[in-house]
This record gives sequence, structure tokens and C-alpha cells, in this order.
Amino acid sequence: MVFVLAGKMSKKGGSKLTQEEELLLQDFSRHVSVRSSALFYGSGGLAALTPIWLFWRIHHMDLSVYWLAYILVSAASAWLIAFAYKNTKFGLKHRIAQKREEGIAREINKQLQDDKKVTKKEKDERILWKKNEIADYEATTYSLFYNNLLYLFGTVVLSFVILRTANPLMNYGLSSLGSAGLVALLSTGTK
Amino acid sequence: MGLVLWIAMCALVGLGAAQEATSGARLLASKHILNQHLVQKKDVTVQYGLHNVGDSTAYDVHLDESNFDKADFDFVTGFTQAHWDRIAPGANVTHTLILQPKEYRIFNFTAARVQYRTGEARDAQIAVGWTSSPGEGQIWEINQFNRLFAPHYADWITFLIMCVPTVGIPYFLWHTSKQRFEISRVATKKQ
Repeated sequence: MVFVLAGKMSKKGGSKLTQEEELLLQDFSRHVSVRSSALFYGSGGLAALTPIWLFWRIHHMDLSVYWLAYILVSAASAWLIAFAYKNTKFGLKHRIAQKREEGIAREINKQLQDDKKVTKKEKDERILWKKNEIADYEATTYSLFYNNLLYLFGTVVLSFVILRTANPLMNYGLSSLGSAGLVALLSTGTK
Repeated sequence: MGLVLWIAMCALVGLGAAQEATSGARLLASKHILNQHLVQKKDVTVQYGLHNVGDSTAYDVHLDESNFDKADFDFVTGFTQAHWDRIAPGANVTHTLILQPKEYRIFNFTAARVQYRTGEARDAQIAVGWTSSPGEGQIWEINQFNRLFAPHYADWITFLIMCVPTVGIPYFLWHTSKQRFEISRVATKKQ
């Protein structure tokens, strides 16, 4: 569908897209707005900072000694997690949009049933806009939940089971980066 | 007849030897470290036990512990030297010393010296002996010990609370939105 729209664009020779086309493109787009990007990096940073508590309190890695390692590893992990958010969100958005279409259409129709001035085209555009908005919202929140959970769980398992007896600094680096890398890798899967 | 006489003679020699072994005061002394793990700057309990297995009282009993140097240990409770005026036959006495290792290392717990008079008279024979020696023990560094053995319940609970903003809130937002539109779908099916 994206290719069809792209074809239309080239035929029109630079003429503007209709609102419906823009919404459809948004539905399939990998583009992340500045606001979403800030949310992803912010949430990724927060998730990457959370395990520091465990390494400070349980592995006795003092903040005053290991602050540089904490900053570097957290920044790298945050970047990997944010990368995973974007991929997961892109993979989910279209599927969620398809699942929610019926419910959203019903709700919009219910809202506009008494308003005779609204044309069918306008109603369809509203449904499309709302569907895009809901799909974006749900894909974002689910992506944050899923990737954060996977990252934190992976870090705990790596740190307290697999690398339990390893040197604390190596344990921290491998657990955090390993888990974030795994989350990023899994997010690139097609299913 | 000759055989019976020979057996009777052997029995008398054995009894005499046994009487010689248990005649007078005879102390058995033990030294035990009661802790399962020895940890730097944590209390270590050393218990000494003296048991008189002889058939007369031991007098002026001295226990002298020279294994623990003030440079290596802080003394919490008890003394390195103990004295009992007398220990009756079949009686037990115990002495306890509590100290804290200053550094972590492998420490050799050697025997303590025990001295007593076998008779009440001032010029009675003086016996000198040693307690059992517990041998080498690993004194753990406190951080290393806590890392490996402490349960850290409070730290884990705090970590779970810290996970709420990154995992719990996105899940709640996604679930709320999902429920809203799933209810709409159920209503559609019913109609």
C-alpha cells in the first residue's frame, strides 16, 4: 500500500498528499516524532539506571568508585533499549490498528450519529485519525512495557544467576549491555 | 590351668595400666569456633571446653590463649586468659571469647595452653597441655560476604518498587486502552 501511495505521489509530480494519505502513511511509517524520541530515550535511560540500585546495594559497587562505568554502561544500554522501543513499536502499530479498527469505528459512529452535518468522508477521516492515534499510543506503551520488562529480567538473570561469581565490574557491564543487546536483537525480528 | 592363669595375669596388667591412665586429675580441653562463616568486622565466637576425665580434682586451672593478636582482632567480650580454682572429677567448664577480625585473610586457629595442678598441695605435680586446634579458617571481606550470602530482602523490595515507573505504568496505560476498545468489540458482537 505504501508503494501504491508513493507511485501516486510521483505521478502527481510533487502535489500535496491528502489528509487521508498522510494518515495512512503515518500508519506504516518508521518515523518517530521528536516527542516520541524524547520519551524513548528518557524511558530507556530510566530503565538502564534502575539496575544500578542492585549493583550498588547488593554487589557493593560504590557510586563514588564506579560512577564512570555506571554512566557509560547506562548510556549505551539506554541507546540499545530506545532502539528496541522503535522497532517493537513499528512492528506492533499496524497490527494494533487492525485489531482496534472495529471498536474505534463504532465509538466514532456513536459520537457522530446525531450530527447530520458530518459527511461520510469526514467520518472516515476521523476514524482513520483516531485509529492511528490509538495504535500509536498502544504500540508505544506496550513497547515500553515489554522491552523494559525484558531488559530488567535479563539483567537480573545474567547478574545473579549466570555471572554471580564474576568480578562486579565485569558482571555489571556484561549483564546490562548483554541484556540491552538481547532486547535490541529480539526487536529486529520480523514476527 | 596354665592358660587360665595367663589370662588372669593379662587382665590384672590391663587394669593396672587403666588405673594409671585415669588416676589423678586429667583434663581434656577443646577449642571451637562457633560461627559458620568468619567475616571481617563481625563477631567471631570462640568457645573453650574443659572436661575433667580423671578421678580427682584438678586445681588452679589456667587457660591461656595467645592465638589472637590485638593487631589482628578487636576484643568484644571475654578474656584471653581464664582461671578456675578447681574442676571436680567428671565436671565440665566452658569459657567464651568474642572478637572481631580486623582484616580478611586465611587465619590459622591454633591451640590454647592449659595448665593445672593434679593435687591440692602447692608442690603437687603441674600438668601442661593444649586444647584442640580448629585449624585454618577463611575470614571473608564484609562486602564479599554480603554479596554472596546476605539475603537483601529490603533491597529487592526497593528494586521492585523502582521497576513500577518503567514497567508498571506503561502496562497500566496499555491495558486501560486495550480494555476500552475490547469492550466496544464485545458490545458490537452482542448487537
